[in-house]
Parts: sequence; C-alpha cells; structure tokens
Amino acid sequence: MSHPLDNLSDDIRDHIERETQENIERGMPPEEALAAALRKFGNVTRVMEETRAVWISVWLEQLLQDIRYGVRGLRRNPGFAAVVVLTLALAIGMNTTVFSLVNAILVRPLPYPDADRLVWLGNYNRFFKAEMVGSPDYVDWKEQAASFAGIAAYGARGYTLATTEGAGHHVLADVTADFWGISGARPALGRFFGPEDRDGIVLSDELFEREFRRDAHVAGRSVIVDGRAVTVLGVLPKGFRFALPASFLLQSGSAREIEGYIPNPAGWEHPPRSRHVSTQLVVAKLKPGVSIERARSELAGIQARIARENPKAGYDVQSLRVTPLQEKLTAGARPALLVLLAAVSFVLLIACANIANLLLARSAARQKEIAIRTAIGAGRARVIRQFLGENLALAVPGGTLGLLLARLGMPVIVRLAPPSLPRLGETTIDSRVLLFSLGATLAMGFIFGITPAIFLRRSKPYEALKQGGHMSSADSAGLRLRRLLVTAELALALVLLTGAGLMVKSFWRMNARPPGFDPERILALQVPFSGPQYNAFAPQRRFAEEMLERVGQLPGVEAASILAQGELRGSGTAPHDPNVTRLSSAQVMRLPHVTFSTVAYGFNRVMGLRVVRGRWLAENEPDPAIVINVSMAHELFGEGEAVGKQLGLADNVEDPATPASIVGVVSDLKYSRLDAPAEPEVYIPYQLSTSLLGLTVMVRTATDATAMAPAIRNAIASVDRTQPVAAVKTLEQALADSIAPRRFNLYLLGAFATSAVLLALIGIYGVIAYAVAQRTQEIGVRMALGAQRSQVVRLVVREGMRLAAVGIMVGLAAAFALTRLMASLLYDVKPTDPVTYAAVAAALAATALAACCRPALQAAWLDPARALRHE
Amino acid sequence: MSTKDGRIELLQGTLDLLILRTLLPGPAHGHAIVKAIERNSEELLLVEQGSLYPALHRLIKRGWIGVTEGTSENNRRAKYYRLTAAGRKQLTVETTRWDKLARAIARILRPASEEGRP
Repeated sequence: MSHPLDNLSDDIRDHIERETQENIERGMPPEEALAAALRKFGNVTRVMEETRAVWISVWLEQLLQDIRYGVRGLRRNPGFAAVVVLTLALAIGMNTTVFSLVNAILVRPLPYPDADRLVWLGNYNRFFKAEMVGSPDYVDWKEQAASFAGIAAYGARGYTLATTEGAGHHVLADVTADFWGISGARPALGRFFGPEDRDGIVLSDELFEREFRRDAHVAGRSVIVDGRAVTVLGVLPKGFRFALPASFLLQSGSAREIEGYIPNPAGWEHPPRSRHVSTQLVVAKLKPGVSIERARSELAGIQARIARENPKAGYDVQSLRVTPLQEKLTAGARPALLVLLAAVSFVLLIACANIANLLLARSAARQKEIAIRTAIGAGRARVIRQFLGENLALAVPGGTLGLLLARLGMPVIVRLAPPSLPRLGETTIDSRVLLFSLGATLAMGFIFGITPAIFLRRSKPYEALKQGGHMSSADSAGLRLRRLLVTAELALALVLLTGAGLMVKSFWRMNARPPGFDPERILALQVPFSGPQYNAFAPQRRFAEEMLERVGQLPGVEAASILAQGELRGSGTAPHDPNVTRLSSAQVMRLPHVTFSTVAYGFNRVMGLRVVRGRWLAENEPDPAIVINVSMAHELFGEGEAVGKQLGLADNVEDPATPASIVGVVSDLKYSRLDAPAEPEVYIPYQLSTSLLGLTVMVRTATDATAMAPAIRNAIASVDRTQPVAAVKTLEQALADSIAPRRFNLYLLGAFATSAVLLALIGIYGVIAYAVAQRTQEIGVRMALGAQRSQVVRLVVREGMRLAAVGIMVGLAAAFALTRLMASLLYDVKPTDPVTYAAVAAALAATALAACCRPALQAAWLDPARALRHE
Repeated sequence: MSTKDGRIELLQGTLDLLILRTLLPGPAHGHAIVKAIERNSEELLLVEQGSLYPALHRLIKRGWIGVTEGTSENNRRAKYYRLTAAGRKQLTVETTRWDKLARAIARILRPASEEGRP
C-alpha cells in the first residue's frame, strides 16, 4: 500500500498541467497559460512542505508505535533481549570508560590558560635519561630569549614541614615566580611570591585545610620547612592543580599532589655551569604568534653560544628539546592508552557481530511473519522501520546501562591506575564522553540493525511462505553471513587474547626472582635527612651507625642495612696508577647506566645477594673496598678476573679519584624496577661516602615484614625524634609499584580479552546450535540410515572447528601484524613470541570445542523418528 | 476576509468543509475539486489552488477522505479523492456547525431591533 505522500510532486505537476490546458482552451497563448496556472497555484515548494508537515507527526507516532511494538515483541522473548542489552551495555561501558581515560589524559587541554602555547624546554641528560636544565642556562634563556611570554623553572620533592602542631612529610614544588603567570592562578588568600622573594610558602587548598584548619589569618604565620623558618604568604584556590610533569623528580610510585609552593632558587643560586648539574625543569609560554620552531632555533642559538663560551662544561646543542607541553605530559601514557583503546574497540566490534548474529537468527525465525506483513501490503521501508524500532528498543537501554556501568566502573579504574598517569583525577563523564558513547551506541544499533535488513532484502515473501520451515536460499545466505561474523569474532578475540598473553608472559618474566631474594620479607623505610644539623657526613654517619645498631637488635630482624643511591658517581682522572681501572668519560657515556649503591655491610644478607667470586664487604674494611655485580664485571673486564682490581671513585669526573679494591663479585639483582634489566652496579660501603642526601633503611625480617614496621619506626625515632620516617613499604610493594602502569594495562587488556573470548564463545555456540536446528531433518535421515551417534557428534564438531580454524588462522595473521604496535608494553618477550601464539590459539580452539559440545550432543541424542518429521 | 478584484478569500478552516462537500457526489482529482469549488461559488471564492494539497492530506490523515490511484479521461494517471463513511458523518457535523455560526454572525451584524426599521 502506498503512502498518500508518494508522488506528491507528480500530483502537483498534474494539477498545474490541467490548469494550463484549461487556460489554453480559454484562448490564452501557451506561455501565458502556464504562468497564470503557476500564479494561481501559489508557491509550489511551500505547498509541498506544508503537505509533508501534515504527516511528520504521524511518522514520529508510527516510529513510537514501532518502538512500542518492538518492546512488546522483546518482552515476549526476554532471554534474547537480556543477552543483547547486556552485551551492548558491556561493550559500551568498557568503551566509555577507556575513552574517558583517553579524553582526560590525551584529548582535553591542560587546565591552564592558553595551554596550546605552553612548551617544555630541556637539555637531554643521558645519565638521568631525562630532560633537565641547569640553573645558569635557565637564567640565560630567561634573560635572552624573546620568544616567550614567561619561562618558569621548577622542581618538586618531599620536605619536612613543621608547624606549631607537629611535623610531617609533604610534597612541595619550588617554582620561579613566572609559574603564577603561566598557570593563571590567583591567590584565594594573601599573595604569591614574586621574583625578589627568597622565602615564603604558598599553600594548596588541601594543605590549608589539613594543616592550618582554614585559619583566615594564616598569611604571615611562620612554619619550618626542612629546618628553615619561612612565612606563609598565601593560599591557592580550591581546585587548582599542579599540571606540569613532575613525576620524574618524585620517588617512583609516589606522584602525590603538590601540597605547597616555595620559591625556586634558580635566579640567585650560582652552581657551576655543567651539563651534569642540571636540576631544573623548565616550562615556558610562547608569545602569541611565535611558532615553536622559532623558539627552538632561538634557544639553539643561545645554547650554542653557552657551549662556545664554556668548552669544559661538555654541552651538546643536539640535546636541546622544545616540545609542546601537552605532548611531553602524555608521551609516556600514549602508547598504552592507544593500545587499550584499540583493544576495547575490538570488544565493541565483537559485541556488534554477536548481536547481529542473534538478530539474524531471530529474523530468520521471523521470516514467515515478515512475509505475511509484506504480502498484506506493508512496504519494505515500513518493515525496515519496524526493525529500526526494535533495534532502538534494544540499543537505548543497552547504551544507557553501559553509561551507568562506565559511571560505576570509572572510580575503580582510577583507583587501580598508577599514580604516574598524568591528570587521572580529571577523569569524568563530560559532554565529549557522552557524545562518544551516544555515537558508539547509534553506530552499533545501525550496524546490527542493517544486517537483518540486508538479509531481508534477499528474502522473497512468496518463497518464505511457500517453503514452510525448510531451508530456503535466504536461510542459507543468512547462515553464511552468520558464519562469516563468527569467524571475524574469533579472529578479533584471538588478537586480543594474544595481546593479553604477551603481557602475562612479560609479567611472568618481570617477576621471576632468584632464590634467596624474598622481597615480601624486606621492609624499606625512607629517612630523608632534614635540618642543617645533618648537612655534614659525620652526623649522618653517626645517625646511620646508631640506627643500624638499634634496628639490628630488634627481635625478628634478621639483618639490616642502609641503601643510598647515586652519591658517588663517575670516576676521577687521577692518580695515574696503572693498577687502578678508571671509567673514562667515553666509557661512562657508553654504559647505559651504572648504579652506585652506597650500602652497609649487612646488605647482602638483607637482599640475599649471591657472591659469585671473592667475598662480600666486611663490617669495617681497613682499606677502601667495593663489590661489583656480574654485569659491571663484564662491562669492565670482559671475561677477565675482577677481584683484586682497583676502581677509581670520585664525586665528579673532574675530581681526583680514590682508588678502591674490588673484593668480590655478586650476582645481578633487580631490586628497584622490575621492568628493566639489572644494571651494572657498584656496591660501596657508606663509610667511603662524603655526603648522604637521605637514606633508605632496608630490614630483613624473620616473619611478617609489615607487622614489624611500627617497632622499626620506633627504633629509628629513638635515635633522633626530629627525623621522621617518610615512607614505609615492603620491597615487594615497592617492586609492585614499579610496574603499576604495566599491571594496570594488563588488568584492562586481560578484562577486554576475557570479554572478547566470552562473546566469541556465545557467538560460535549460537551459530552451531542454529545450524544443528536447521539440519535436524538431515541428521534424522542420516541416523535412520544407520549413522552412529559418534558420527553425528563428529559432523557437528567438524563444522564448528572448521569455523574456529579459519578464525584462528586469520587472527594469528592479524596478531602477527598488530602486536608489534605494543612492543613498548612488553618486557623480555618478543611481540611474535611463538609460545604465546601457540598457547593462545590452543586456548581459543578449546573454547570453540566447548561451545560445540552441547549442540553436538543434542544432535546425537535426537530421536530419529521425530527428527524426520521436524519442520 | 479581504477582497481582491471583488472575490473573497477563504476563511481559515472552511476549505476542509468545502472539500468534503465537493466530494459528496463522487470521487474527484485535485484540480477538479478546486474547479468545482470555484464554479459552485459562482466564481466568488478565491482559492489559492496550492493550499488544497495540505488540506487534502489533513483530511486523509483524519480518515475523512481516501485516495485511489486511477486513470482519468485522456488516460492520464491521477489520484482520486473520495469521501469515507467517517467523512460523510463529519460533513453533516461541519455543515450544522457552519449554519449555526453563520446565523450567529448574521444576528450580530443585523440585530433584531434594527430589523424593524425601514
């Protein structure tokens, strides 16, 4: 039946022709006749619009009716509706969650004004593998560069902050006054420090709340920061965030919020000009209209002049980096996030294929109903709209539920996420996220809605009516399409599973630990020396000795040591003793990184270090003695004997070196980062040190390390109450924290892969069960002709496994091509690791086999007599 | 109700009534409907022909008229509009209402007191 609106323009043309004809008959010339007819008719376009407008509300009404009809139809089939809505909700929920992470971290601009003009400046330092700037260089850039509206140097670390109420450990940033302009902050109370202020502290709203109880007269109060009295100048507004890259300076895994701001001494301190002494992080704001290239070439000019004037400082202009701040902030998180986004969109595709599959099965079953509707005059468009109504009835609750899941899941994800992920706290469902999930829902609704529509186009109503329940050509076309969808699902699931498998194997590799190393029984307590009384080595050493003595005597403590890294580095130029091996500058540069660990003699027992050659350090070595690890021995002497050789030690490359004898070689041990190979390491008795910036107390306990923590804290406090313990962790926790970002990625990817496999399982089960139902009569014939049950089982299983095999092959090829994109997320595993590929393929094949079992058994236990009559 | 060369523009809503009345004798196509209205009003009523179409579709939507595809005199394809049973009933209702309205307006314009005057 046609709609009255059909051929409206023809009706109107017909009308005008008739009027023209009449005019001609009345004696008008033809052109005039047409013009008069048109005049009399009025504006054709407006007439058509008004006529259509009559029906628009009807169209909407019908769509609503279709949706109502769809809901009613689905209510009759609640299992089907539930599966589709849940699948959709799962996929949309996961995608929304991951997208909201990507949105917060990669997409949304920084919360500072004109964020697109902020740039990160740095000289790449190969020792620290980081971009940093020396204070004198910063001063030169600030004075000479014309490209910038502001240029701020900053740093961040933990400080001991004492008020009248007590002392605590807080993370403060030291910033130059330009920071205020760049961040666009305004004081909520008091004022900020200017370039001339050398003292003072600006509090974050949180610190103001916690330590000062929102005292309105806080400005002017005095507090002690690391032993120095400073004045509180002002308070930042609530919600202000320090959004600059800071995690490098903070201890790994402790990227806490910045709680206060103190002046950065870059402007008045004058450390020696050397590219090794680079301690500032620098952020600048470009003047409007200045390109980043122009800023880069201007800075390169200044840097080249500095290098020329200070030939001994070892500058290398090539090391200059000028990067958009947004890029610098997110560079570390980007690859993982993009991999996760790709993975989760795979889940969406699989879910889509699954739903399309279910809808296809349903539309096949409803072929007769639709044929009848078509036969009694429902237009094809009307039938498709009915499908659309049903799909909307499915997609809208699915998408809404998905959004709800994302809303509930987001805090969990944010808590699981490593603190080193920048701007994580800003993760919310904003309009962009909403738009994303709406788009994803509609796209899914369209994709799975269009499949039955295509299928429908192929089916001819008379065939469907004629052929009762038998397999029609449209049926077999539908089954082909469904097989194709399931194969694609399996292939996608395999890619995800491979990714997850590679990450699991990386984890296994990372967590492999040598016998004797029991990180769960080792407690690490940080004591950052604070106050001028600990500026010299003598009191530091006295503190360490006393503390080791007291901690060592505690019951339940097996061994105690200290660990202070990086105080002695490089090696000196003198004396010219042929027996003393010195690391030349070239060698130092070539070595990836040598760790110089300042330790007490008990360290080997704490860590379970295995002595490979020679011996470990004695409690009191008469002469300077050191121990190196296998990697270092290999680096210095190749296959030669290391024990007995001497190594020159000095604070700086230019300083005279103290020769120290190598008394032993120990096995390599990763104890600070799990996801990096053990570095060449030199163990130096702390007695040889010239200064300690702070130390970590390492205690091996007999039983539960965490339970021992209070006793050990007390023992340390009993040495000097002014030195608080900053952080207590078991080494196991610390190691786990070192791979927190990777664990986060693994959890998410694992969850995605699991959902993918589950969906694929449902998909393949559905297709096989459907195929069995279609072939009931055939199976009945076979059994009547004497086929054994085992043969029937084999028949069904073979069909399923053929699908699985194709899916797995395609998936393996895709995984081979795609997993290399995640190489940076892997550790000690190649993206094409054959063992993982084989394991994953086997796991998926087993899943497919399990999915075939029920339909196969059902087929085998058919009653042949009934199956033959099956329609 | 302005006048243009002596002809009167239709009152809002009256076109529907006229269409229904025009279709009472039998089905007609769009052009014939306008022509009949113009002719029967002795060319006094001015119908903008285009406005016929939204009106027709309004009536179809309400179920008062129906459409049939057919061929006209010289073998041209055309849509014929016909009155439905509901439309017939509606026509009676509308006619009664129109008569009442016309009488009421006439009474206001020429009150009984004035009628007696010469």
